[in-house]
Amino acid sequence: MAGVEVRLPAARERLAQGLPRGAGEGGRDLVAPGDTITTDPGYMRGHGTYMGNEKLVASVAGVVDRVNKLVCVKALKTRYNGEVGDIVVGRITEVQQKRWKVETNSRLDSVLLLSSMNLPGGELRRRSAEDELAMRDYLQEGDLISAEVQAVFSDGAVSLHTRSLKYGKLAQGVLVQVSPSLVKRQKTHFHDLPCGASVILGNNGFIWIYPTPGQKDEEAGGFVTNLEPVPLPDREVISRLRNCILALVAQKLMLYDTSIVYCYEASLSHQIKDLLKAEVMEEVVLQTRQRLLELEG
Amino acid sequence: MRGSRSKALHDQALVNCQYSMATFSTGDRKRRPHGDRQSSEMTLHLKQTFEAAILTQLYPRSQIDIYVQILQADGGNYCASVNAATLAVIDAGIPMRDYVCACSAGFIEETPLADLNYVEEVTGGPQLALALLPKSDQIALLEMNARLHEDHLERIIEAASKACKDVYAVLDQVVREHLQEVTALLGK
Amino acid sequence: MASVVLSEAEKVYIMHGVQEDLRVDGRGCEDYRCIEVETDVVSNTSGSARVKLGHTDILVGVKAEMGTPKLDRPNEGYLEFFVDCSANATPEFEGRGGEELGTEIANTLYRIFNNESSIDLKLLCINPRENCWVLYVDVLLLECGGNLFDAISVAVKAALFNTRIPKVRVLEEEGGREIELSDDPFDCIRLNVDNVPCIVTLSKIGYRHIVDATLQEEACSLASLLISVTSRGTLTCMKKVGRGSLDPESIFEMMETGKRVGKLLHSSLQTVLDEEEKLGSARKKVGFLG
Repeated sequence: MAGVEVRLPAARERLAQGLPRGAGEGGRDLVAPGDTITTDPGYMRGHGTYMGNEKLVASVAGVVDRVNKLVCVKALKTRYNGEVGDIVVGRITEVQQKRWKVETNSRLDSVLLLSSMNLPGGELRRRSAEDELAMRDYLQEGDLISAEVQAVFSDGAVSLHTRSLKYGKLAQGVLVQVSPSLVKRQKTHFHDLPCGASVILGNNGFIWIYPTPGQKDEEAGGFVTNLEPVPLPDREVISRLRNCILALVAQKLMLYDTSIVYCYEASLSHQIKDLLKAEVMEEVVLQTRQRLLELEG
Repeated sequence: MRGSRSKALHDQALVNCQYSMATFSTGDRKRRPHGDRQSSEMTLHLKQTFEAAILTQLYPRSQIDIYVQILQADGGNYCASVNAATLAVIDAGIPMRDYVCACSAGFIEETPLADLNYVEEVTGGPQLALALLPKSDQIALLEMNARLHEDHLERIIEAASKACKDVYAVLDQVVREHLQEVTALLGK
Repeated sequence: MASVVLSEAEKVYIMHGVQEDLRVDGRGCEDYRCIEVETDVVSNTSGSARVKLGHTDILVGVKAEMGTPKLDRPNEGYLEFFVDCSANATPEFEGRGGEELGTEIANTLYRIFNNESSIDLKLLCINPRENCWVLYVDVLLLECGGNLFDAISVAVKAALFNTRIPKVRVLEEEGGREIELSDDPFDCIRLNVDNVPCIVTLSKIGYRHIVDATLQEEACSLASLLISVTSRGTLTCMKKVGRGSLDPESIFEMMETGKRVGKLLHSSLQTVLDEEEKLGSARKKVGFLG
């Protein structure tokens, strides 16, 4: 029953080789730092660019994005740049006076103010001095939360709020951290998947996989954590989803509900732990890719 | 890139470097991987080089860590470190004015030599390390040791900067290939 | 030491999973992650190996240098261990931050090699009381993804297997002895690594124990038992680590598991090392392009 596999490493191959030509290359503007994007003074300078000698120059390697007169360059991989309205998953790193510091993969720590969260026992009540003293009872260091970005400060730091029953403290489940650029922006980032588990795809690249809750326990306000054992079948689904998401990330496929479900279904012929192997990941994601292409027509 | 720490600066990002050599990387075994005079100097040089290239003013209160680990050494350690770190900074999506490319050069028997190997380094003679922002032709770091007649300086710098531009061509090609590959895969 | 912070609920989830023999990544309690081994990766060394175990990434270089035998063992050479925790693994290791962990690992390595059988040190003697080979085994920790000790011990064994020490001759001359290096670079001593032990770390989570814990699992484990086993299943060293306690009964259970898994680990490793050697010059070196 014990399993030990030792092997020689294999050189990485170019991932794009197996891909149909022209998938997504159509006239894209790819630039590297120092490249001149335009000499036309009419354009506005956005993220990833700077003005040098009256020319607009790229400062990161990535894809040029033109919105009217605004020119941005989106890097392939960055830390999370918060935008108001984003859904994020974060981990509490510090309890301070009237606020929590939250790690959200941003450049600076994010904050969650005591006044911008739902407290147990009612939507809107005044925050009392007792609440301030009991902050660590609500959320303590290491706890995970889901939240929405309320505001972004001038230095890029993010302020969060959890003023909706969707958000709040997360209970049992598994966190996977990926690059924020791999999470596709969608109408909703909360998905109850047909395979029997749920995911929160945080815009910041933190992905939370958890058992689909039976009925929404709205009274508790999300502060009483259920520590009952999760049944084995649910665990299997969660573990498989975790490995599928890691496979998609390794093979650079965007994460959204359809890609995850397809990948999950493609993986069913393999054991869960075999999905940790590079060649199985490759095979499963290739199948997913083909199915997604068929879907697009 | 990390959030505020005690050393953080309020108006720009702090560039923090550490240069370290594996104890087995050199011909003779090294006693300490870092913290000796040579590594501290190298750390300082790296810091200067990247402060010149990274747009630090965009990220107040942040810190950018650049850790360089030499696994196998055969001369041109500073230059290889700079070239590798440039790629790492680009990969991390940290805004830079331009690539930074570095190359060493020497002058042996009236001939300028680019990219000295270990044997050429230890034979003595004038040596020069140059870090260049290739697109704008700006020098990020220039260091020279041993005595050299002023008349020869121009030739050596020329040899080094030519080599830097060659390095740039290679780095740029790798970055572009990677960009193309990943954007194709993501199918954005 | 590199560690992660988890919420209580995450820990409970991991703990219950271990109870059911289904870990978060789908492995059972006695499964290792896939281990990748490559030897002869650093040309400036007498022997080297790189081992990847999940996110854990280890590079080991062995350098043979001439030294004098220790006074109490005039007919033997000796091994020196050094562990460098690179800041590339985690910013905590910057400056002197990694020294404590490095010393701890190095001391463990000294301990598991501190017996007659693991390596034939007499082979390293050149000239009794005067000259011997000193093998500097330098471990470089490039990335931590849990289970450092096991990965390091595998890498050390692979690097020792790969080590080639030049043959020397002692020439007796008037006025003293002289040592002459063999002219043929292929004329060298190889070490017999059959009895070199590997470490198996067993982490206790809840009522059960697991092998090859990830960083997250290590955060849930209060105590673990580190045992070194040879390929025959002989136990050469044992150490309890962590702040929790273990009851004697579970220690025996863990020892049994350790021996069983350790034997498997050795045989799989040896197969791959032999396979790699058989490829000879046809082998494509991967190095850091993996």
